[in-house]
This record gives sequence, C-alpha cells and structure tokens, in this order.
Amino acid sequence: MDEILGEFIAETLETLEALSNEVVAWEADPTDQSRLDAFFRFFHTVKGSCGFLNLPRFERLAHGAEDVLAAVRRGERIADPATVTAVLAIMDRIGALARDLGDEDETVEADDDALLNALSMPVGAIETQHQPDVPGGETERSGSTGLASPGRTRAPRTIRLPLALIDKLMNGISDMVLARNDLARKMRERGVEPDVEGSFERLSANVADLRDMISKTRMQRVDRLYASVPRMVRDLARDLGKTVSLDLDGGDVEMDREMIEMIGDPLTHIVRNALDHGIEFPADRIAAGKAETGRLSIVARQSGNQIVIEVSDDGRGIDRAALVDRAVAAGILSTANAAVMSDSEKVALIFHPGLSTAAQITQISGRGVGMDVVRANIEQIGGVIDIASTPGQGATVTMRVPLTLTIIPGLITRCGPLSFAMPRGNVMELLHENSAMVSIEEIGGARIATIRGIRHSVIELEDTLGLERGRGHCGPRTLMVIRSAAGQPYVLGVEAVDSSEELVIRPVSPVVAAVGVFVGMTLPDNGQPMLLLDAAGLARVARLPLLENERKTGVPELEADQPAESVQALLYRDRDGARRLMPLAVVDRIEGIDAMRIAMSNGRAFARIEERLLPALNIRNVETGNLQALRLHDGRDQLCFVIEEVIDIIDVPARLDVSIAAGRIAGLVMVGETQMEMIDPFALFAEVAAWQTPTPKRSGAIRCLIADVDDPWMRNILAPLLVQAGHEVSFGPIGDVAPDVVLCGEDRQLAVEGVPVLALRDVPEALADVRASSIYRYDRETLMAAISGIAPRAA
Amino acid sequence: MTESLFLFACIGGTPIAVRADEIEAVVRLGDVVPVPLAPRHVRGLAALRSRVLTVIDMEARIFGAEGKPHPRLLAPLSLAIVAAIATHSYGFLIDSVEDICQASDGVQPLRGRIDPVWAPFVSGLVDYGGRSHLLLTLSDFATVSEGALAA
Repeated sequence: MDEILGEFIAETLETLEALSNEVVAWEADPTDQSRLDAFFRFFHTVKGSCGFLNLPRFERLAHGAEDVLAAVRRGERIADPATVTAVLAIMDRIGALARDLGDEDETVEADDDALLNALSMPVGAIETQHQPDVPGGETERSGSTGLASPGRTRAPRTIRLPLALIDKLMNGISDMVLARNDLARKMRERGVEPDVEGSFERLSANVADLRDMISKTRMQRVDRLYASVPRMVRDLARDLGKTVSLDLDGGDVEMDREMIEMIGDPLTHIVRNALDHGIEFPADRIAAGKAETGRLSIVARQSGNQIVIEVSDDGRGIDRAALVDRAVAAGILSTANAAVMSDSEKVALIFHPGLSTAAQITQISGRGVGMDVVRANIEQIGGVIDIASTPGQGATVTMRVPLTLTIIPGLITRCGPLSFAMPRGNVMELLHENSAMVSIEEIGGARIATIRGIRHSVIELEDTLGLERGRGHCGPRTLMVIRSAAGQPYVLGVEAVDSSEELVIRPVSPVVAAVGVFVGMTLPDNGQPMLLLDAAGLARVARLPLLENERKTGVPELEADQPAESVQALLYRDRDGARRLMPLAVVDRIEGIDAMRIAMSNGRAFARIEERLLPALNIRNVETGNLQALRLHDGRDQLCFVIEEVIDIIDVPARLDVSIAAGRIAGLVMVGETQMEMIDPFALFAEVAAWQTPTPKRSGAIRCLIADVDDPWMRNILAPLLVQAGHEVSFGPIGDVAPDVVLCGEDRQLAVEGVPVLALRDVPEALADVRASSIYRYDRETLMAAISGIAPRAA
Repeated sequence: MTESLFLFACIGGTPIAVRADEIEAVVRLGDVVPVPLAPRHVRGLAALRSRVLTVIDMEARIFGAEGKPHPRLLAPLSLAIVAAIATHSYGFLIDSVEDICQASDGVQPLRGRIDPVWAPFVSGLVDYGGRSHLLLTLSDFATVSEGALAA
C-alpha cells in the first residue's frame, strides 16, 4: 500500500510540474481544447486514484475542479481568468496535499471549502486567493522527464532514483579516485613491474571514465529551474496588476543538480523583485514611452567553467539617489563618501543588508531583506552576482555560478610545509618574481607589481594567512595574477606552484568556512587534506582596495571621517598643456566621451552622459574624436570637466601653500620639486550653477506645453522624450498653471505672454533658412539643452 | 536502548560523557593539517580514509581565550571521537576513553555551581563507576562561535 501511495504522490507531483508550464498558455487561449483536456485528465486521474487509496480530501477537490472543467468542455462555461485562477488554486492545494502526504504533515482542511466555493462562484466575482508557497519537501525525481500532455506519453526507459543513492554513488566514486591516487603514489615510491603498471593504467582510465559519467548523472537541464517561472510570473503579474511577457532561453544548458536547487530561491527572489520594483504599471510605462507590456527575460548560458544566468527587465531601473539616501539615512555611508562613489558602487549598495529602494513595502518582495540574502546564497556556492542598471530602462542581474561543485581544476601552491589549492579559473597568469615583465616596488608599506604597464596590488599568501615563510626555500617566488569575484585583479605571491590537478572538492565545515578564505577542501594524491583558497576572501582578509580608481571602499573605511593631514588629488594634464591638480574627492569617475555627445547651446556646453545632460566645462569650439573627461560630483549635481589626460593620483597637503582663489584656481601646492595649481571645485560648480539662473532649479521639472495637439510627432515622439528627461508635458491651450516653455512647429508660431517659445523645424540646419530661433526637431542634444536651459517659473 | 548508552571519556582532566548515538567511532588521527586563521579550537583537518575530518579541540573551545596560553601540542595519533554533524565530519579530541556502556540512572540534573566556562556546554550529569561525568553535546562544539575568529 505504501508503495502505491508513494507512486501516486510522485506521479501527481510530476504531472503537476509538467502542467504548470501549460497553465499560462491555457489562460492566454482558453479555447485550446488539447490543453483543457490535459487539465481535465489530470483531475480525473487524481479523483480515480483517490477513491482507490481512500483519500477523501483529494477526491473532493479533484471532483470539484473536474466538474467545472467538464462544463467548460461542454461550452456551458467560459474559462475566464477567475475560473483559471480557481482551478489553479485547486491544483496548488492538491500539490501541497501530496507533498504533505509524503512528509506526513497535515494541511488545514477547512480551507478546502473556500477553494471549492471560488470554483462555483459566478464569473467575475472572485477575489484571487493568494496561497503561500508550500515549502520544499519535494521528492526528487532524477533522470525522469515529465512530459506534458497531450496523450500523456511517458518518456521511455527512465527510472526514479532516491537522491541518497546518487550521493552515495558519487561519494563511492570519489573514494575510488582517492584510493587510485594513493595506490599510484605507493607504486611510484616502490617501483613496480611494467605489466602491473599497464593493468593499473587501464584501471585508472576506467575510474576516470566512471567519474565523468557519474558527474553527468548529477547534471540537470536548466529547464527544471525554469519550470515554475512562467506560473510565478503570471500569478505575480496578475496580483500586481501589471502585464509582463516572459522570455526564457538556454533551458538546455546543464547544471549540477545541487546548483539548480541552490539557485532556485535566489532566482525566484530576483524575478519577484523585477516584477514588483522593476517593471512599472502599464499606465506608467505608456507615460514613459515604453510598450505597455513589460519584458522579463531569463537567459542561461555556459561560459567557460561557469554557468551564467541573466535576469533582465525593461522596467524603471535602480534608483541610485534613493539607495544612497537610504544608506546615508541608515548610517551605513557618510555623505562625503557617498559623493565620491562611482555609479557601479551606488548600484552595488542594493546588496547591502537592510537597504531597499521600494518606496512601499509590498507583500511580493517584502522589505529590505532580499538582495543581500540573495548574494549570500550565490556566494555560498562559489558564485558571483552582479547588477547593472540604466535608470528608466531596466536592470540586469547576472549570476555566475561554478559549473560543478565537485570537481574543479586547481593549482597546488606550496606555502612552507603546507599546500593550498587555488581554482584555476581564478588564475589569469603565472610569473616568476624575477621575470623581466614584472617590476615590484614598495611604497609606504604597500607593494605594487607592474606587469606590462598595469599596476596590481601584491599580497603574499603566507602573510595573509598569518603563516611563517618557508625557510628552506630559495630561488624566486611565484606570482599568480588572480582574478577575483570582488573586483580588480591582484597579484598573490606564493613560494611555488607545484602542480595542476583535477580536484574533488568537498564543502568545508562551517567553522572553517567562517574563516572566510577557504571555499572547499580536497584530499589529493598525498593523502594530506588540502584547503581550496577563496580568491575574493583573500583579498578581503588582506584589505585590498579592490574597486575602481583605487579608492578604498567598504564599511571599515567609511567609518573614519576625520579631517586628514593630506588629501588625495588627481594629477592631470589640462587642455592648455599645464599639469594641474583636482581634489580626488569630487571626482566621480574618469571617462571617455565621444565629441558627438557634446552639444553647445547659447555658448554653454552640455555633455550627454547616460541620457542626461551634464554641464560641460573646458570645451573648445570644435570638438572631434574621443575626449577624456572627469565627472565631478558635489553631492547633488554633476558636471563634466574635459581634460587632456590623467597622469596620476597623488597625496598633497590639505592646506594650500599659496591661496589664490582666482577663477577656477584655488591656489598653489608644492609637489616634489615643482608647484602646481589646484583646481577649486567650488568655482566650477558655481560657474555651471550660474548657467541655470534664476534658481530654484531642480525643485521642479520644466513644464512643457505642446501647442499642436494633433501633431503626431509632437505627441508620440517628442512628449515621451521630454517625460523621460524628467519634464512635465501638457497639451493644448494653456491651463491654470502657466507652462515654462511652449513647444510648437515652425509654421505655427504662437506667442504666449511671458513664456518662451521653442519652435521646431523639420529640416536640418544646412537646408533651412537661417532662423536662429528654431531648432531642428531631430537635433536631440540641442533641443534637450535648450529645454534644460529654461528655468522653471515658480508656480 | 541507545538512549542510555554513553561514551565516557576525559578531556583536560575532566570526566565527560557523550551520548553514544552521536558518535560514529573513536579513532587515532593521522597527520592534522592546520587551518590558518581559524579559531584556536579548530585544530585542522585530518584524513580518515577518504573522509576529511575537521578536528575540534573541545578543551580549547571550552576555555576559549582565557584558557592556557597555547593549546597543548597535538601528539601524533591523538584520540578523537568521529561524528557527522549536518553532513560534515568532525573529529573531537579527547585525552582518553574510559568505556562505552549504559548508565543505569540515566541523565541527572546538574548539581553544584559549575564553572561558568563549562556552563554553555553541559546539559547534565551521568554517573559511571561511582563518578559523575559532565554530559556534553558534540554539535555544540561544531558551531561558529561569535568573536572567536582569529581573523
């Protein structure tokens, strides 16, 4: 009896999983007879089996759903969304009951009536029943391919195996590999006859094959990860009142079964976040000039020894300002530090515990707990998570996880009497210390290696791990250029790299993992346990500055905020050839900009960066090619400062040697043998702030009135552009509130008292009559600059 | 009746008892490879056939930083209790084993005022051979202790 019951549970769950893919398609086309039949058949089967197994609750639920579907089949009832939802609720409950039966738990029976009532309610009168997810406890079905109906064809020759058996098999093979290694070592030590060696080689090859095969049984297609996504997206979108189209790609990529399980929850969370916080409501999307239906795509692909899973949406993106504000409010970040953060660092704040940009806490993705937990989960399996986002255009979360937890190629490094393994995937290059390509310098305690012109931080493995250097070793040490998940590559010095081996990696116990620099352990040929190093963890323990611009980040550095004796300054070559200094604190980033992105308006230059116009300084009349620019930041506003080139970052005294305060120059600073001019950022920001007179600018958006209501270009092309740029747009005659600017076609000039008018013409400059007052309508930079240049009037 | 079957052993001169159902075996360890930066009570890793044990020094864990200046040197072939806790294998160092047998009286509540360093680990007393033994739970020693990280 137990066997039959087990079979029933497994079969029910398997069919449910297969069906969950069909649900969305069925709802999209409720008239699809074959899908309807598949659902009907499912309930019918469940009902039949339940009677036989004496499971009255199943029977009642299945019976109710079957009746409704039968009515739909007969055409007496329409499969409207409410009906579909009610049927799905029943499906979920049956799944939950089946799982409970497996775990010998009980679900409250009283709720069943509510579900059944929902089924019989008249069309349209149903509140969506939100069912909490039933936690785990799913019976594993390895190697089985649950085929969707119709016809319920079973994939031939597959069997279900208990998970434990596969794990035991895997461990057995691992033991065998280790025994083989041990034997090989003893044979090397003692020397054996050639024919014994021949037999051993054959055995050895067989063991290797077997290991490869068993690794494959652990692999599963990403499809399995995808199975529940369409249903989840559908339910969520419905609950939230959004419309979303889902693209899934790369379902045939194979991953370690364990990974699939580990990545399930993070993926669910990311998808929920994307739907809840990323994708806007249909009305907002239309207003922003986007398609009404949001797009969510999940792509999996294999890249080297990693699996990359990307979840991207075309929603509103990540609000950096809100994140920074929250971080400052939560005391995680000081205002000064916030000002010098690069864009990617700001976005990365989303991974900080307790921060969330959602203005409201919703039921879907909860409060601030979230992305930090997601990151922890991904890192726990040796993965990396990244987020990129363009404001207003969406966000992409990229998860990279190792292909398999169990066997990885590693380099074995010697460290005195001990050996450690480094995943080969982290090692970009190996060099000897005395190689001609490397020069190592020591400055103020920091060691820097320059390899082919690129500077890297250098750390020594022994120092980082608190070990003594091996005394017996002579000759050059080996340098490994390490690429780590956490940021910039660094150089790790080790005594020697002994060999490269395929290592069977097992997880380390929690006490060892808590050290933070070991991600696994292995038992290599010599029978001495060996720890696998964590490239990112080493950098963390060594407190390496890993992020762009060599600036220090992270919580410990953020705490200290005292006035310093010296400040860091960026030494650069100005456009007149002179070398000047810029306080590094105001430099947000160094970037290259195409001259095409710079537009002049009324003698003022604006650079288009990330779809925003920033005031640009140091612009010549004619710009060509690629320009080097500094993005300066005063905590609120940004400006683009064009330079010739960056030379270095140096420490200069905080106090100026000669204070001048003339124009853009704050004064002179002695640097070594020479004195250099230090730029006064105050003057720069004051200069561009004066462009936007009269303030209060930024307190509100520019109110644009589009006069030609019927002009499709104005309405469909221009208006969304303006809205996207943060302006307000209204149409038709002037209402109660006077606009800041009136936009109209060249031929329909109209004068409004006290309001500037921007006329747009249809032809580019070269062909038009010289009419300075009009702007070519596709000259985006000039147009946007002109609008940005208009001050909003106090309402 | 595994319920009342106990291993009676000795750590740092103190008689202890451990429930037999927590234990897989008592072995003599081979080489122990140290784990750099780990807390002092994590003595390292030892291979037991194809398994790798995390070797825990219970005495060092109990007495923590206030204990002896440095844990005793690890003699080769130290005795250890092998146990699997949450899929990981551990070796818990002990000085000596007295016996594995049933305690007729079962677990007794703690009497007397126990040294505070022992208090978090001891859940009762078990009588054997006319002497009281402190009852310890091995999994208490495999957790990550706050503030105990050397790094």
